[in-house]
Amino acid sequence: MEIDRGDGRKPNQLRPVACSRGILNRAHGSASWSQGETKVLAAVYGPKAGTKKNENPEKACFEVIWKPKTGQIGKPEKECEMILKRTLQSICLLNVHPNTTTSIIIQVVNDDGGLLPCAINVACAALVDAGIPLKHLAVAICCSLAKNGRVLLDPNKSEEQNMKGFVYLAFPNSIQSVLPEGSLQVGGEPVEHGIITSVTHGAMSVDDYLLCLQRGRAACEKLSVFIRSSLK
Amino acid sequence: MEQRLANTWRMTVNEKKFIETALHSDLRIDGRRPFDYRELTVKFGREDGSSEVQLGLTHVMGFVSSQLVQPYRDRPNEGTLSVYTEFSPMADPSFEAGRPTESAVELGRVIDRGLRESRAVDTESLCVVSGKFVWSIRIDLHILDNGGNLVDAANIAALAALLTFRRPECSLGGEDGQEVIVHPPEVREPLPLIIHHLPVAVTFAFIGDENMVVIDPTHFEEGIMGGRLTATLNANGDLCAIQKAGGDGVMQSVIMQCLRIASVKAADITAKIRKAVDSYNTERALSKIRRQPASVAVQVTEPNQIEVKELISKHKEKLMLKSEEGGASHSDDMEIEAQSSEQDKSRRRDSTSKSFVGGPLSWDPYSKGVDFEELQASIASRVKVAPVEKLEKSRSDEPYKGESPKLLADSSTSLLSDEKAATGLQIEKEKTLKDAVKPKHKRKKKASTNTDAS
Repeated sequence: MEIDRGDGRKPNQLRPVACSRGILNRAHGSASWSQGETKVLAAVYGPKAGTKKNENPEKACFEVIWKPKTGQIGKPEKECEMILKRTLQSICLLNVHPNTTTSIIIQVVNDDGGLLPCAINVACAALVDAGIPLKHLAVAICCSLAKNGRVLLDPNKSEEQNMKGFVYLAFPNSIQSVLPEGSLQVGGEPVEHGIITSVTHGAMSVDDYLLCLQRGRAACEKLSVFIRSSLK
Repeated sequence: MEQRLANTWRMTVNEKKFIETALHSDLRIDGRRPFDYRELTVKFGREDGSSEVQLGLTHVMGFVSSQLVQPYRDRPNEGTLSVYTEFSPMADPSFEAGRPTESAVELGRVIDRGLRESRAVDTESLCVVSGKFVWSIRIDLHILDNGGNLVDAANIAALAALLTFRRPECSLGGEDGQEVIVHPPEVREPLPLIIHHLPVAVTFAFIGDENMVVIDPTHFEEGIMGGRLTATLNANGDLCAIQKAGGDGVMQSVIMQCLRIASVKAADITAKIRKAVDSYNTERALSKIRRQPASVAVQVTEPNQIEVKELISKHKEKLMLKSEEGGASHSDDMEIEAQSSEQDKSRRRDSTSKSFVGGPLSWDPYSKGVDFEELQASIASRVKVAPVEKLEKSRSDEPYKGESPKLLADSSTSLLSDEKAATGLQIEKEKTLKDAVKPKHKRKKKASTNTDAS
């Protein structure tokens, strides 16, 4: 059963991806990532001296500031900040610079679906541009479940709104073949081939979720090849 | 507290002395002369009303959005304009998220004053139902990179975004005629804002003791300047606002000199903004045609279908190439397209035409209707081809922008759009040409009154 996507893509086809680094002058690291029409900008400052009040001073601390395109900062933005912060905390080497704060500022330029995965990707690119030590990259993708059970990768905004449910997934950047994982919600000791982050919207059955995971991981492998080559 | 002090950036005495000494011999650290502006680039995003400005190393983005709200009690038939400035922590390590600092508030106020009190944006045209519904225009300025002189860059971003913003068209309806129906952009073409003139901000920095003035300071120069003056003027030479908040005392003659220089620079910047906006509008008009192909291909029946699809894919390719290449190669592409569209038009004249259902509704009703009939008339009487096309060329400028016609770009867009419409037209009698004439004259007058050049 073939699904007609609005822009003529196949169910497993991603939107065209563009990534550029070093676009801002004052920031220590900066990157811009666009997937189709969704475009996000990130800047990294750090490491700066001192940690925030309730943070562990023996580790590096991250601060994420999410700036929406228009309007005030509200709860959805705070949630995105928290997810991004925990994702990045799990991929960075926190013991290299203890008692420091690294700030990552995300600016949404255009939102056409799949905003959080774009933000994760751009944050990683900006961290690489700034030279912050990382264990591995986080590659993120959005998988959605259509009403008739097909899994569509990287939906745009209009597709997202018509889906039964969708999930944002972030995997470590790994080109080797994947072993069955121990799955993790954010944080914790990362297993090399595990899922770093998974955020779902809408209801879906467990089988559908596992199918999404499978597709997402395959897509992320392709995406990580692209990222590797663009970061050279 | 210590961490904040440890993280701030301070100028060293050496840097200060270096900049001042260089200025004695009229040299600036980036090689400019005291009254040179940095390179200005104005780019636009995908949506209407989003602009990105780069002034040297300073990077600012502007977004304009609109909403229907209740007007203020003391101004029941005027729309509202509000400017929100975000000093994003992205721009400078010393900017913090959260409450705007003094300089952020000052910047927002200067831009707001320049736009509002000089009546640059016509707020009365934003009224829908007096006392109940007016359009509220919101300008969000995001400072991405602080390379100095944020006021000027942010001002340009706001102006560029306002010039390219389109607000949805709305009409009154409902039982008592008081309900406002907002038409989505696919149904009715959104309208541009009416902007009378462009107030451009020009900033001067006063450095050292000997009346040294520089224009467009970088952030190093801002770190050592003694005072700052921002003058907002438009290309007509009207002074919209001056802001000199404290700082060193400056002689009157120096201020007068600054204002004179500012008026020259303002004219220069206005010309650059207008040029960028015009090329954006042309590209936008072309991409509007690309929006149609889906409906055209579906409704046209057999004989024309293959031709139409060929042409559509050809146009799509060309348009995609164009959007990648950017404004520079515009004229060449359009000439090629105009020629090919000529051939296609003549081909199609011979085929029998079917009734066209979906097309006219999605176009601006006035312009397409008139062009339609012009084309039909030209089909009916081939002798009149040359003068009719010239008429089309001059008239078709209005639907896309009410500004002075630019020949090649607009004529080719009208030709392209006409032949898209022509795929399903019915051949009508001669009288339609005369019917078409009356509305044409009316629109021309309306359009010319709207174009108050500034």
